[in-house]
Parts: sequence; C-alpha cells; structure tokens
Amino acid sequence: MAENVERTTKTHTADRGSRTGNFFKAVSAVVWKDLQAEFRSRELFSAMLVFSLLIILIFNFALELDIKTRQSVTAGVLWATFAFAGTLGLNRSMAIEKDRGCLDGLLLAPVDRSAIYFGKVISNLAFMLIVEIIVLPVYSILYNVNLFQAGLLLVILLGSIGYVGVGTLLSAMSVQTRTRDILLPILLFPVVIPVLLAAVKASSGYLTGAEFSEILLPLNLLIAYDIIFIAVAFMVFDNVVEE
Amino acid sequence: MQDKPITLKVLDIVSLILLGISTYLALVFAPTELVMGDVQRVFYFHIGTAWTALMGFILAAVFSVVYLIKKDLKWDRYQVAAIEVSLVFFFITIVLGSIWARPAWNTWWTWDPRLTTAAVTELIYIAYFMLRQGIDDPDRRARFGAVYALVGGLSAPITFFAIRLFRTIHPVVIGGANAEAEGGFAMTADMRVAFFFALFAFTVIFVDLYWNRIRLGNLQEKVEQLKLKVTL
Amino acid sequence: MFLQTPTPDTSGYMIAGYAIAFITMALYVASMALRSRNLHQDLTTLQEMDKSAREKEAAGKQSGR
Repeated sequence: MAENVERTTKTHTADRGSRTGNFFKAVSAVVWKDLQAEFRSRELFSAMLVFSLLIILIFNFALELDIKTRQSVTAGVLWATFAFAGTLGLNRSMAIEKDRGCLDGLLLAPVDRSAIYFGKVISNLAFMLIVEIIVLPVYSILYNVNLFQAGLLLVILLGSIGYVGVGTLLSAMSVQTRTRDILLPILLFPVVIPVLLAAVKASSGYLTGAEFSEILLPLNLLIAYDIIFIAVAFMVFDNVVEE
Repeated sequence: MQDKPITLKVLDIVSLILLGISTYLALVFAPTELVMGDVQRVFYFHIGTAWTALMGFILAAVFSVVYLIKKDLKWDRYQVAAIEVSLVFFFITIVLGSIWARPAWNTWWTWDPRLTTAAVTELIYIAYFMLRQGIDDPDRRARFGAVYALVGGLSAPITFFAIRLFRTIHPVVIGGANAEAEGGFAMTADMRVAFFFALFAFTVIFVDLYWNRIRLGNLQEKVEQLKLKVTL
Repeated sequence: MFLQTPTPDTSGYMIAGYAIAFITMALYVASMALRSRNLHQDLTTLQEMDKSAREKEAAGKQSGR
C-alpha cells in the first residue's frame, strides 16, 4: 500500500518524458532478461522447434500431402503447427517466471504492470517468430513450395502478434491454476479462432496467388483483432498478476 | 439462509405454467409447416433458448467489467449464475438446431457461421468453468473468471463476423438464392403467436432459473466463509 | 410446386427434440436442487461445529477462573 502511494506520487511528480522512458526501460529489461536466459539454456526454443517439425511430419502422414492437396492445405498445416508450438512456448515461458519467482520480483519493482505484459509479449513473439522463420524454409524444402513471399511473412507477423497478445494474458492466468499443464490450449484456442481463420485465409490467398482485394479483408480482420485484444489485455493485465 | 422469498416462489410456478402454455402453443396450436413437417415445431424452443442464452452471455460480459472495476464478489456470483444458466440453454439450442437440421438440411451439422460460432461459444464458456475449477482463492477465481469472460465475450462475435465474411466470398453449399432450400419459411399468424410466446416464456424461465442460481451462489459463499471461520 | 409434394412425417425428430429439451432442463433443475440441499446440510453441520466450538471456549474460560 505504502509502496503504491510512493509509486503514484513518484509518477505524478516525474515529468512525462521520463515516465515513458521508464516504461520502455522496464519493457526492454523484461525482454532482455528472457532473451538472455533463453540464449543460455535454449530449452524453450529447441522444444518449440522440434515440436513444430514433428507436427509437420505427422501432418504428412495424416493428410497424404501429395502435390495437389499440398496447394490447398499448406496454409492450414502451417497455422496448426504454429498454434500448437505456440502454446508450448507460452506455457513454458510463464511457468518459468512463476517457478523461479521472477514474477513476484517483477511485481515488487516500481514499474507499471503493463510493462511486464508488453515485455512478455515481445519476448514470446520473438521466440515464436524465430521458430517460424526456421520452420518456413524447412517446409519449403520438404514440400517444394515457395513460402518466402513478403505478403505471407506479413500475415505470419500479424497472426503471431494476435496469437501471442491473447496467449500471454491467458498463460499468465493458466500458470496460476492447479491444472496449469493442460489449461492453456483449452482457454486459448476457442478465443483465437478469428486469428487462425483470418490468417489461414490470407496465407492461402497469397499462396494461391489470389487478388489483393480478396486478401485485404482477412488482413484487416487480423489488424483489428490485434488492436482490440492487445488493448483489452493491456487494460486487464493488472488483475491477472495482482497478488 | 432465509426461506425462499415469496416472489421467487410465485415466479417458479409462473415459469412452469408458461413453459406448459408455450409447449401447447408450439405442439398443438401452431399449424404444421408444410415443407418440413412437424420437426419445424422445435424452432420455437430453439429460438427461445437461443435468445435468452445470448442475453445471458452479454450480461456476463457486462458483469466482467463491473466486477473488474468494483471488485465486489457479488458481481462474480451474478456472472457465474448467468453463464451457467446460459450454458444449459445454449446446449438445448444447439441440440434442437441439430435435430432440426437433419431432416431439413439432410445433415446433423454443417460448418455454417451460426453453428460454428455456437459451438465455439459453448466451448469458451466450458473453458471458463474449467479455469475456475483450478483456482481455490475466491478473489483470484473471480478476477480470472471476469478477465476470461470478457475476452471470450469479445471474441465470440468476432468469430461470427469472421466466418460470415469469408463464407460470403466463397459461396456455401447450403443457402442459395432460394430461402426454402435453406430451411427458411414464412410464418403464419398462429406461428407468430407461438413464436413470440416462446420468447416471452423463456425469458421468464431464464430469470427464474437465474434468480435461483444466484441464491445458490450466495449460499455457497456463506458456507465457504463459515468453513474458514470454523477451521481457523 | 411445394404444395404438391406431401408434407414429410418428421414427428419423430420433433418428439426427440422436445424430449431432450425437457430432460436437459429437468436435469439442470435437479442438479440445482441437489447442490442446494448439500449446501444446506453443510451449513447446518458447520453452524453446529461453530456453536460447540464457542461453547467449549466459554467452558474453558469458566474453568480457568
């Protein structure tokens, strides 16, 4: 309580410039900590990557990916892979915070809680994008499709932002429950369906060479979803980490 | 816990009577639809439960915001009650829709916007209860529940619009220009009576169940507090 | 054109639909009644425990004097 008061008086007296400066400093501190820890252990990244490759392998047997079907299902296979690998990463990244007591330490620090949220979003996004950047060429080689198109990369970026934006909020909740190992996908998948839907539509649009006017609609939806849900998560994140 | 208030007792009885009248209107009073036959009669209960369940879900999202601002556990109990009753009603909606679709569309299920959104919504609120079950601390349970109900309540309509947008670009198998093929039909005056009465009856039944469920929540709260007091 | 085709007999589906609707509602009401009864039982037990604990405390104080 006293700390809260101190914090508010501090922020009131501080001028606007240094306040935003502090915020960015806190965000980058969280990101930096995550990236450094990951750089040392590489456990999260390697698990996500191997898991993604295994999913692609399973899809190969499950769907009989011959040349004809490949065209139509590539977008779906990619996004299903990213979604499954994503939950693995999100869960682990938050569980580490919880187990090592980092979250409590961060909460005691005199920074805005939303800085923790944005920090975690950025580091989770970084992990996801790195995995995606490795999965794409592997998929391209294995199935002989060119996935390196600027439009497709944009879709993957926008889709990952929406996925991680909601996923970070929900994983912060799920790691604090008794059923934390299994809960995240159950919470996350039904609410990210719009992201997956729009991302698959836009990706397959780019892959089949559809007209831009057709791709514009899912792209707009992705942008709208990203903005709405990151704004909501930003507003409610306080309630999720409050102790 | 005091005894049931007299208003609620009256409401219980009124709900039962209204359910009876609505059943009569739907099964006997309304004429048989010519193209689909008797199965069209499930439509009255289908719409009645769907309308009230959706109202309940919207109410729950509103309670999320109120709880997150006021932090009074009362709003959490209102929210749980609304979601639970709506979940039961929405289950009835989905099953009735599926039963109607079998003879009308010749399939139990199609992945059209409404059916898909209905299934996703049901799953979101089942996940809501799974989330709550994993948390012991009542304040945290309420906070997490409110956050998830808010996120879910925002996501469900977006899902609906997303599916509808994309399915209109790529025509669906079901639902050409002909409304009859889609299973649409024009309502006669008698059908309209049964229809609006079902809406009214289910609204009252929902309020009655909702009130009872809130009382149950209050009782639960009381027991939990007493438990804490005794064990201390 | 539609008038010429006879109305199909789909009453079986209708009966199934109404049966499921009523059974679901009945089950829900029953579950609420059951939960309410259990909670009332818990409440009475807890109240008794609370009461006896307080009596013991009071008795303990008296004997201490």
